[in-house]
Amino acid sequence: MDRSAGQVELKIPRRAEFVRLARMTACAMAAQLDFTYDVMKDVELAVGEACTNAVEHVKKADCDEILVRFTIDGERLAVEVVDRGEGFDRAAAEQEEEERIGGLGLLVIEQVMDEVDIQCDPQTGTCVRMIKYRARS
Amino acid sequence: MSTPLKIESRLEGKDAAVLSLAGELDVANVAQAREAALKLLAGGVKRLVVDLSNLEYIDSSGLGMLIGLHKRQKESGGTLAIAGARERVMRVLKITGLEQILILYDDAGAALKEVP
Repeated sequence: MDRSAGQVELKIPRRAEFVRLARMTACAMAAQLDFTYDVMKDVELAVGEACTNAVEHVKKADCDEILVRFTIDGERLAVEVVDRGEGFDRAAAEQEEEERIGGLGLLVIEQVMDEVDIQCDPQTGTCVRMIKYRARS
Repeated sequence: MSTPLKIESRLEGKDAAVLSLAGELDVANVAQAREAALKLLAGGVKRLVVDLSNLEYIDSSGLGMLIGLHKRQKESGGTLAIAGARERVMRVLKITGLEQILILYDDAGAALKEVP
């Protein structure tokens, strides 16, 4: 199989019931790189958490969509989860406890992915970029 | 596209109950699971066992629900036990450190016997 390159973009409504669609797509993309089952499920988990953050923490009313971009590049899978909200306040999220625990979601992402970068901007929104390498799985 | 989650509950004796969650627990359906648990507690249940033996997926929303129930029970003098967590669910509990906070049992039967 040619694993050299490939990109899939998924736009989902910023609603909880669509997070699973992003998770399922993550599994399908991870399968393209022959990740082990456990790694595939880790990628699913991370994508689910990034989308959940976008659903739960964005308060901007006109931000109604989440873009999930999967890129297979050589021996790695890169995933970007982008929303056009006001930017994600990580410090505030980590202070939230009990019923809504945004900090836990970020912890999960960082634990299961090889590289994670979060860019927040009040004008352009939030981009969670994460990478999983095939060789490390 | 709803996330598949089957919720069942049964009372055990006068103050215990088992809440079984099967399928996937995520942000889309966590409110239903929480509502089922709170209904049991409102009905007088002091010892609540959440049976995860048929749960295949949990996210931070589900973890938040479990922590919320744990705190609520602790504050009210009740107990919460988590039973039968499978490998994937256990992995999430471990990487978040909740394995050390929540009370875990191999299965619901053991939890019912041992939880005070």
